[in-house]
Amino acid sequence: MHFFIQELVNGITQGSLYALIALGYSMVYGVLKLLNFAHGDLYMVGAFVGYFVIQWFGGSTALSIPVPLLLLFMFLLAGGGVGMLGVAIERFAYRPLRDAPRIAPLITALGVSFLLENTMLLLFGASYRDYNTSAFISFNTGIHIGPLNIDLVQLMVIGVSVALMIALTLFVARTKLGRQMRAVSADREAAEMLGIDVDYTIAVTFFIGSALAGVAGVMDGLAYNNIYTLMGFIAGLKAFTAAVVGGIGSIPGAMLGGLLIGIAESMVTGYISSTYTNLIVFGILIVMMLVRPSGLLGKVPLQKV
Amino acid sequence: MASDPRTTDVSVEAKQDPSIGVDEWVARTAQRREFAPGWRGDAERLFERMGWWPKLAIAAAFGAIVPFILSNNFQLQVGINALLLALLALGLNISVGWAGLLDLGYIAFYGFGAYGFALLSSNQLHPPTGIHFAAYVSLPIIAVAAACLGLIVGLPSRRLIGDYLAILTLFFGEAFVEFTNNVAPSKLGGPNGIVSIDPIRAFGHSLISNKSYFWFLLALLVLTAAALHLLDNSRTGRAWRAVREDPLAAGMMTIPVNRVKLMAFSFGAVVAALAGTVFAAQQVNVFPTDFDTPFLILIYAALILGGAGSIGGAILGGLLLSVMLDGFLRSPTEAGYLFYGVILLTLIVKLRPWRKLLAVLAATVAFGFVVHAIVEAISKSAVAGQPSGGWISSDLHNWVVVPSNATTAGNIGFVVLLCLVIALIQVKGRTRTVLLVPTLYLAACVWEGVLVENPSVTRQLLIGAILIVMMNARPQGLLGSKRVEVV
Amino acid sequence: MATPAPPVLELDKLSLSFGGLKALTDLDLIVSEREIVSVIGPNGAGKTSVFNVITGVYEPTEGEVRFLGESIGGKAPHQITRKGIARTFQSLRLFLNMSVVENVMAATYGNTKAMPWESILRLPRARREEREVRQTAEEVLSFFGQRLAGYRWGQPAYSLSYANRRRLEIARALATRPKLLLLDEPAAGMNPNETHEVTELIGRLRDELGLAILVIEHDMHVVEGISDRVIALDHGVKITEGTFAEVASHPAVVEAYLGRDPEALVQD
Repeated sequence: MHFFIQELVNGITQGSLYALIALGYSMVYGVLKLLNFAHGDLYMVGAFVGYFVIQWFGGSTALSIPVPLLLLFMFLLAGGGVGMLGVAIERFAYRPLRDAPRIAPLITALGVSFLLENTMLLLFGASYRDYNTSAFISFNTGIHIGPLNIDLVQLMVIGVSVALMIALTLFVARTKLGRQMRAVSADREAAEMLGIDVDYTIAVTFFIGSALAGVAGVMDGLAYNNIYTLMGFIAGLKAFTAAVVGGIGSIPGAMLGGLLIGIAESMVTGYISSTYTNLIVFGILIVMMLVRPSGLLGKVPLQKV
Repeated sequence: MASDPRTTDVSVEAKQDPSIGVDEWVARTAQRREFAPGWRGDAERLFERMGWWPKLAIAAAFGAIVPFILSNNFQLQVGINALLLALLALGLNISVGWAGLLDLGYIAFYGFGAYGFALLSSNQLHPPTGIHFAAYVSLPIIAVAAACLGLIVGLPSRRLIGDYLAILTLFFGEAFVEFTNNVAPSKLGGPNGIVSIDPIRAFGHSLISNKSYFWFLLALLVLTAAALHLLDNSRTGRAWRAVREDPLAAGMMTIPVNRVKLMAFSFGAVVAALAGTVFAAQQVNVFPTDFDTPFLILIYAALILGGAGSIGGAILGGLLLSVMLDGFLRSPTEAGYLFYGVILLTLIVKLRPWRKLLAVLAATVAFGFVVHAIVEAISKSAVAGQPSGGWISSDLHNWVVVPSNATTAGNIGFVVLLCLVIALIQVKGRTRTVLLVPTLYLAACVWEGVLVENPSVTRQLLIGAILIVMMNARPQGLLGSKRVEVV
Repeated sequence: MATPAPPVLELDKLSLSFGGLKALTDLDLIVSEREIVSVIGPNGAGKTSVFNVITGVYEPTEGEVRFLGESIGGKAPHQITRKGIARTFQSLRLFLNMSVVENVMAATYGNTKAMPWESILRLPRARREEREVRQTAEEVLSFFGQRLAGYRWGQPAYSLSYANRRRLEIARALATRPKLLLLDEPAAGMNPNETHEVTELIGRLRDELGLAILVIEHDMHVVEGISDRVIALDHGVKITEGTFAEVASHPAVVEAYLGRDPEALVQD
């Protein structure tokens, strides 16, 4: 039972990260009907930004500022920086292709992903970088009640993720920009004719989605310590799975999908073997696509004859 | 007095993008179109009138001579890789170019063929079972199995369209790598792959040397191209293209859309699997990492570059990309030829009139010397680095700025270069021409300082750049025809 | 006396609903050989839904669709078209990047049998079928006289003028060798000359090819010129049926199109 709860906690932690990335995928798909393959790499960039913030302030063992302030800087810089990067990518790579057939932006996204990964590879090399979180956040702090052991980092990951998801849901549901995003998702041409600044709305969507991925990247570094330039690829695939399983285009779907995939992953790793984890996650996707392509919470698209 | 077309810089035919309802075809036909004067026009006219088969024969003849021209085994290997990539691009063209299905798991068919041959034609399965077949037994088995696999992978296309199908096939491809890496390591070799695979044996001969594999692949490529051409001009080819255009209307016009999609997957799978068997035989070993996603992206880049939807385009894209990446990027000198060559070529094609071209080139050279002199005056170590070997580079030593510790400066330079290139695309007219000068110079410096030292990363960067640039600038590729889409 | 052949198309108490929205309610309709039946009604009356149900895009919620006596409700579109039903679309759906003649040849797929390997090896059956397909295309395209004449055949479909594209779509439908032709607003967007040509063309299709034709049309001149019978729909319900004269003057039809007489409203 101990084991089960532990794996559950691990799963929820990992799942929260997947959920954050999946949210970005879903939001971008909603407004542009584009599967942004480069999204996972934005996650990676965020992790690196966080790493360099730590180094800037003295390194993990000799921090010059208090930890909460460090965390704040990391989140702000990663979120803001990666957000801006996402906006730039949209502006220069995807916007010219807005009216092209779907295959064109998809392939461009593949190209952007490749370019991002290899630029980071060129600039920072292939070796792992270590956040070394335990040097400034102890493992021993956290909740330890009976069988439940959640350490501080895990708590933070889950807490921040939940807070961000709530904020996003409120934003989309209550604010004017959120309404505009929903309008553009429903019918871009109609939204334009109603006076909505579509370019701006799409840019904001990209910013938010990318920022979420960036913050998730920092938290990945904090929770799992090792980051490397190709980490975005596999995380992107899994978050992809999460977004699709939950229903692409649906925000609650992305959250649900992320949690499910995270928990499934940790259960498989814990009870079966880590060699089969990826295979089983991919298997879930394949089954979902065959049985219910629109995902758990997604809507079936209509085709007008 | 009529202006002499040889000195005017206006392009000879009014090019107009194809759009619905605009009858550009009539304006384009023989009598109305102006060909370039002199021998160029005669050559163009001859080329247009020549049928498809003569072109294939000429290309095959050229190809057959190549092994006699190449001097060493390494170059032959580059040739073999090029033919393999061309064959793979041909197969991908069936599902992506003709039927319009985004198959991102295509690499799995290639791997299937390779592993299939590795299992059937080696001692991998021999100790427990008696399976160790000669090539002429394995190949047909693999072809049939691949066709079935293609059908299975294509089954979801009944209900999924576009993006969803892309995701599913991508995951299938990923699953293949995971599978061969982790499942049944004693049989499939795990990460260490399968070794000691037979060469291809037929009619008493074994294909051992690179030369023989080159010719074998060339023959395979020519046969496949011929078969696909015949297929394209038959009911199946028309059905595929109709399904790409409008699946709903195609269904209403008696075409069984689902069956046609499955056929596209199947045929593509067989082509890829055949390429895979030759790969396995020639390499003697196969590993799961031979079939990873970056290679799939390479095949896509080849197809996009050459032109999806066109047989010649697929082959050209495959050959060109493979030779560029494998052949040129291996040694710094040759990579240098490629880099400067491509840039010069682009400039020549894009910058008209030739006075402008010369001005930009002269300005870049002058700019470089000036900057070099200034930087040298400020700090000796900033120019002490060695641009990589080769006769171009030694001349360039006084032109480019390569610091002794090239890495950090090179990295910053790279990022600045990216920004400059983006800016270059956004501005127009004179600003663009002026901005071209520092951009070109910075590109040369970054190349000499950083990119040449990291050929594998440069290679991937190039592939990514090709995909992005092609889709934005010329989505139909080099030999494709511009399509009209109703979105 | 021999029993008369079953009508080419028979809709029997056909109903189509999408969730709570009733697109068609209890529709009865018959089209016989060598007959042109027009379906008229204001926008949203369900006319295109009729076509969609007949061609298998939607499955009927209730009732039956019978083609030559055989029930076809629920079958896949390509199976239905192979039985002999062809249609054109309200907003054109040509294979734009294929040439004119290829558009027509593509539609002959269901009437040919050559397997891919036969095509590759150019076996006798494949060669023969290819000749026949080419012949069919020539026949069908020459039906339109000079409009889609020889020099246009290699032209990509997107470069044709609007009227020619509409004609090409009809030609493509004819290449499937149908017994029933469904034309969805064949005269939409045409000027008076072109409209006249289309009216004549549809008449020739009935007389020379013996087709049963069901037409959706808004232009009353066309409806008057071609119809043997007219059916008026409104909100998915048939309000009346008869000759053009009878239907055009029927008060329910007038009301559906023009609304109620304002004076009558005041008197109420």
